[in-house]
Amino acid sequence: MNAAPLICLENVGVAFNARVAVGAPRFWALEDVSLTLDRGDRLGVVGRNGAGKSTLLRTLAGIITPDRGRIARAPVTCQLLSLAVGFMPHLSGRDNAILSGLLLGLRRRDIEGRLPAILEFSELGDFFEQPISTYSTGMMARLAFSVALQVEPEVLLIDEILSVGDADFAQKSGAALRARIHGGTTVVFVSHSDRQIREVCDRAVWIEHGRSVMQGGVDEVLKAYHAASRAAAA
Amino acid sequence: MRLHLIELTLFATYAELRAERARSYLGVLWWIIEPAMNMAVYYLVFAVILKTSQADYVPFLLVGLALWQWFKSCVSHGGYAIWQQLPLIRQVKVPVQVFPSVQILADTMKFLFILALLLVILWSYGYAPNRAYLALPLVLLVELVFAAGAAYLVSAALPFLPDLRFVIEQVLQVLMFLSGVVFALDNVPQPLRGIFMLNPIAVLIDAGRGILMHGRWPNWGALGIVTLIALAMYALATLLLARLTPRYVKLPT
Repeated sequence: MNAAPLICLENVGVAFNARVAVGAPRFWALEDVSLTLDRGDRLGVVGRNGAGKSTLLRTLAGIITPDRGRIARAPVTCQLLSLAVGFMPHLSGRDNAILSGLLLGLRRRDIEGRLPAILEFSELGDFFEQPISTYSTGMMARLAFSVALQVEPEVLLIDEILSVGDADFAQKSGAALRARIHGGTTVVFVSHSDRQIREVCDRAVWIEHGRSVMQGGVDEVLKAYHAASRAAAA
Repeated sequence: MRLHLIELTLFATYAELRAERARSYLGVLWWIIEPAMNMAVYYLVFAVILKTSQADYVPFLLVGLALWQWFKSCVSHGGYAIWQQLPLIRQVKVPVQVFPSVQILADTMKFLFILALLLVILWSYGYAPNRAYLALPLVLLVELVFAAGAAYLVSAALPFLPDLRFVIEQVLQVLMFLSGVVFALDNVPQPLRGIFMLNPIAVLIDAGRGILMHGRWPNWGALGIVTLIALAMYALATLLLARLTPRYVKLPT
């Protein structure tokens, strides 16, 4: 049962168009990435800015199709934790929650069934029925996070964000997300913070110039990554 | 999967219409005022200034403009849809065809509104409902398929050729005059007129006027050809969108 990996990348490369023009040059955001993800893994992704970490997440999510290499995935749902997807300013919080949920792959009845939970978690009260153009930044973050939390993929992909909002809500959203992460969900987590990677992950992969350089235990990978960074700086 | 996409498309259409309503003071009233102003301009130019000697010019213009505006807004709104939603397409895994479909549905809803009003106006002018009305749903359905095919084609190409934006409005403008929307094509000399009537929109508008104003059944041969053209374009556009789907996320921001 545990034998086959959930997702397996072999020498995957992804190329983007540099400009919108016929025959415009392409650049390889991912050159050659190989990794395996097993059920229950909590994989951290480390690497410098522009190394291709976010592209890797979107490839895992199935948003980007690789231009070379192979990707094999078990039939599991795999989603990026995305905030405020498809939000429209003139719609109410309720309508935006439904629209966003549908865009994130939920069925209408699923998202309708979760509206009470969204309303409660976001603490928006009567504002839930108001257009989100009237919301403060903090209220917007509450709604966005509460909706995103309702999508419960089997593989959760997180790009930096572990919590949002003001101090109170940051505490609450962070706790909810950590509960999800440590509740057995398979997680891939991109972060620049060693502390967060150590806290969240049990394995790590190091990406450099679009290549997977090393995969292994968190401490071991972080140590090698920092050693290389220091060598490059010196 | 299919059901989910239908739910998404329908709700996004509702959201689009609702947001549009909230964006202006007069809201839904604009669905009528805008076409009415449009109509007034053409009436002024062609009936008052140029003194077009067309009998029944007002109903002629009304039917033509209603059917034309529907097609035009589907193509221009639907055509922009993927290009405008590129930021969203980079964020979530959603079949891109949803985006032009939402615009087409929203414009179709507005058209149905206009159509109801048009019928009332025609009846009060004395153009009574007749048996040929039975063919009206078919004519409208063919126009919807044709408009959707055209919108999908433009929407598929626009992200790769953003310059198309500057061309589309002009092409639509020319197509309008070639479709006999504001003046009849009867005066066009024969060999040319045959070519003009290859234009699906001209055929559909002609059929619409025949039904609504003269109780005349459509020219089935011409309508058949237009149906085939519409279906072929729809199929081609759907195929093209499916093929190009993986490439939209790789376009530069």
